[in-house]
Amino acid sequence: MDNSYQEWKKLAKKEIRQEELDSLFWDTPEGIRIKPLYTAQDLSELTYTDTMPGLFPYIRGPRATMYVNKPWTIRQYAGFSTAEESNVFYKKNLEMGQKGLSVAFDLATHRGYDSDHERVMGDVGKAGVAIDSVEDMKILFSGIPLDKMSVSMTMNGAVLPVLAAFIVAAEEQGVAVEQLSGTIQNDVLKEFMVRNTYIYPPQTSMRIVGDIIAYTAKNMPRFNSISISGYHMYEAGADSVHELAFTIADGLEYVKEALSRGLAVDDFAPRLSFFFAIGMNFYMEIAKLRAARLLWAEMMAQFEPKNPQSSMLRTHCQTSGWSLTEQDPYNNLIRTTVEAMAAVLGGTQSLHTNAMDEAIALPSENSSRWARNTQIILQEEAQICRVVDPFGGSYFMESLTHSLAHEARKVILEMQNLGGMAKAIELGIPKMCIEKCAAERQARIDSGKDTIVGVNRYQVDKEDEIETLEVDNSRVREQQIQRLQAIRKSRSEADVKEALNAITQAVKDNQGNLLDLAVKAMRLRATVGEVSEAIALVCGRYEAKNNLISGVYAKGFLGDQEFMDIKQSVCDFNQIHGRNPRIYIAKMGQDGHDRGAKIVATGFSDLGFDVDIGPLFQTPEEVAQMALEADVHAIGVSSLAAGHKTLVPRLIECLNALGASEILVFVGGVIPRSDYEFLRQKGVASIFGPGTPVIQCAKEVLKLIEAKGKD
Amino acid sequence: MLAQELALGILSQNRRSLARAITLVESSLPKHRQAATELIRILKSQASPRETLRIGVSGVPGVGKSTFLETVGLAMANANHKVCVLAVDPSSQISGGSILGDKTRMQKLSLHPNGFVRPSPARDTLGGTALRSREVISLCEAFGFDRIFVETVGVGQSETTVYSMVDVFLVLLLPNAGDDLQGIKKGIMELADFIFVNKSDLDPHACNRMAKYCESVYELIHTPREGWKPRVMTGSSLSSEGVDELLRGLMQFEQFLLQNSYKETVRRTQKQDAFLQELKIVAWDQFLKTKNNVINKASSSLIEDKISVADALWQVIEGE
Repeated sequence: MDNSYQEWKKLAKKEIRQEELDSLFWDTPEGIRIKPLYTAQDLSELTYTDTMPGLFPYIRGPRATMYVNKPWTIRQYAGFSTAEESNVFYKKNLEMGQKGLSVAFDLATHRGYDSDHERVMGDVGKAGVAIDSVEDMKILFSGIPLDKMSVSMTMNGAVLPVLAAFIVAAEEQGVAVEQLSGTIQNDVLKEFMVRNTYIYPPQTSMRIVGDIIAYTAKNMPRFNSISISGYHMYEAGADSVHELAFTIADGLEYVKEALSRGLAVDDFAPRLSFFFAIGMNFYMEIAKLRAARLLWAEMMAQFEPKNPQSSMLRTHCQTSGWSLTEQDPYNNLIRTTVEAMAAVLGGTQSLHTNAMDEAIALPSENSSRWARNTQIILQEEAQICRVVDPFGGSYFMESLTHSLAHEARKVILEMQNLGGMAKAIELGIPKMCIEKCAAERQARIDSGKDTIVGVNRYQVDKEDEIETLEVDNSRVREQQIQRLQAIRKSRSEADVKEALNAITQAVKDNQGNLLDLAVKAMRLRATVGEVSEAIALVCGRYEAKNNLISGVYAKGFLGDQEFMDIKQSVCDFNQIHGRNPRIYIAKMGQDGHDRGAKIVATGFSDLGFDVDIGPLFQTPEEVAQMALEADVHAIGVSSLAAGHKTLVPRLIECLNALGASEILVFVGGVIPRSDYEFLRQKGVASIFGPGTPVIQCAKEVLKLIEAKGKD
Repeated sequence: MLAQELALGILSQNRRSLARAITLVESSLPKHRQAATELIRILKSQASPRETLRIGVSGVPGVGKSTFLETVGLAMANANHKVCVLAVDPSSQISGGSILGDKTRMQKLSLHPNGFVRPSPARDTLGGTALRSREVISLCEAFGFDRIFVETVGVGQSETTVYSMVDVFLVLLLPNAGDDLQGIKKGIMELADFIFVNKSDLDPHACNRMAKYCESVYELIHTPREGWKPRVMTGSSLSSEGVDELLRGLMQFEQFLLQNSYKETVRRTQKQDAFLQELKIVAWDQFLKTKNNVINKASSSLIEDKISVADALWQVIEGE
């Protein structure tokens, strides 16, 4: 063996015409060194080889027969507009071969506001379905038998009223709570790191998670009480090691929370599920799922479970949204296919494949069908399911799995040394790690070190317009408001009030089960907003503090001429105007995705701008006021949740009303091209779609500020 | 023209005008300096004088300054004071750019009808924004604000600069500052009129220990204000614990300032300090201009090892 390896080395050197093989090694962003060739020698160094699927440590899969017996569940995440429209959409998808439902709620619901609340004007029915009460939930599932259909719900902030509404809707359909199957995301820790759709301070939030685990352990044996999610970390820019480590560490934190309630580990651990992102780094993503199962099995051993299912990691996966591009969008079909392959070769239990237009808008009917068919083709045409873990035993894959687990273990240990994940999150450390990864990744793309086809290489001259789905937000809001009014008229106010008071009291006394109380309140037709408020009365709504690191983006551009040129232009601007160009980065509405906003802020400040960062969840009125007081030249609005057509024009109106019309407004994020003209007419200076390099944005912003000639 | 327009705006309490005036005062351009000087002259002659309190707040990053300022500021704003916060955020030495407001953003106070929050980039210290804070204070007072907070990150020279422009100086401390306490904190403790040991919600015992320690230090060191012994308090800006006591303390301090016209003395010193600091900058610029040749000559002689540093200095002083 050793001899033949030496022979190979000789041949390889000859082929590449170099004395050393260094150029053939690749250091991944995770800091793992990938060799050009792996051999049996690599296997001999590993702790676990020759393992079996369905058996500890589950590297090869949680089930013995995996897809050979039953393929993964095709579970497409969807929801928009009203409950009626989403219901029609669900039923159509089920007819077309989808197997499970996965509900996307609008941001107003996520953040525990009723549709008639003033802060959610631009959010109702966008990026998910609006749910205010049991009545909406009943419509959402009308004609869908909840005793047979497994339903996954992405809900974290307003998890109590929403899960309660689901339970009551089923009950009124004649389905008992024990019969319900599915998953509630209920993973609040990651909300504090990324995504930001929390409502309450960490302590209260963790109590809610614990109450739900306890309730489901007792009453809902077929329901996953939590979906511990790395997906959003990956989408926020985390590399695979950090996604893996933080997710497993979050999981351990939830286990400890549940144990502290006096539950036995086997009472709830089998119902913990996971959720990972699958990006374009093909081998790494396969290894990630294998390593995740290994780590979970290892880590759960400390709690001494008797039931093997307690240490068996089952996961849902979704292809990466960040990997999708607005430019040359049909490429996204190919990207999603590659990612879907990685997910199933890694052994996922269910999968969502993104639609090709998800980088720009809600999926259209066509793009949804293609996304679903990607999976059906893999299952039924490509014969992928015929063998368990085809990568098992691969020198490279087994080695990569162990390397990834090894790196992740180090991070998990670091978090434990900080006193556990909840503590680390409080200190803001995981968030900073992820943001650092994100800025580095963006700089690699913008500087051309990472290839993105159609964005920084192989661009097309003319972009095809693609059809997108649009939701008439004001119409949805009207309809929701009417329904809310009807409910408030027909219910017994006194009973509702009493039920809500009971919730407030239980939060105060730290007693009782909040889900149990929420079910009682929702049954009496309390609303999502009211139940959320009953809790907030005690602990308030939480506002996370931002922490930003500068200099990370600039590092990716050492010696880059274009970068230096823009920096020089900024210096020149300062010489002429007596200060740096100053921009206010705004997040309006309930859209908590702030990766883009943060990368832009870091990048702009590295280029010499003074950057004001606004808090999350602002109204246009608030942004206008604060931008005016900071006397900025421009406002950059980051919008990823489709609220731009309502919120941006409102912002410009407010600026005009305050006599600050010279402040330029830019918009970046997920904006369909068909909306560009509308926004320009409303007075937007320029629009930056997904994938626009930060330095391009900075160049354009600076140019337009200068043209405005304001000093 | 510009100065006239902004002055009018400020006197009629237009926030936009105040915001733009602050930009003007902070600008590094000579023509802006001229306009700023004129603006301040107009305001001085036209604004009606009122009792104001200038409050400096200092503390290391992470001590919770912004939460503290928001809590205290809101309490004052609700009691019908007009409150403004001038927050100076550090600029990057490398890019010259800055990230503002990520730690200092005080949304509720910003949006309160009686509140105004303005983050500014620090830029370089000499002639930088911190130095201009003094003038910004005068703009805010002309506008009608009577509680002016100047926030500074507790590092380097910025706190002595800020100290010299405020009536009262407040220092925030963390309970678990550790071993570095002895030496480093003494300098800033000498300046403090109030010490607020923050985050008692997390660890009340550690807060009390820290407070005891501070008090013991005050037994030993000499503090600059005769008749006012620095107050040490504990509390939490998050839970508002201790904030009422602090507000009462500030009121007492204001009384103390008014006794024996102590406040006049303080304000007079502030003006002298301002004059001297600005004079140093102007004089230095002037000196460089007029002595450019001699300095270059002396400098090269020095580098070539022909003369000593002392001789080089003499040449510059004596030379034309």
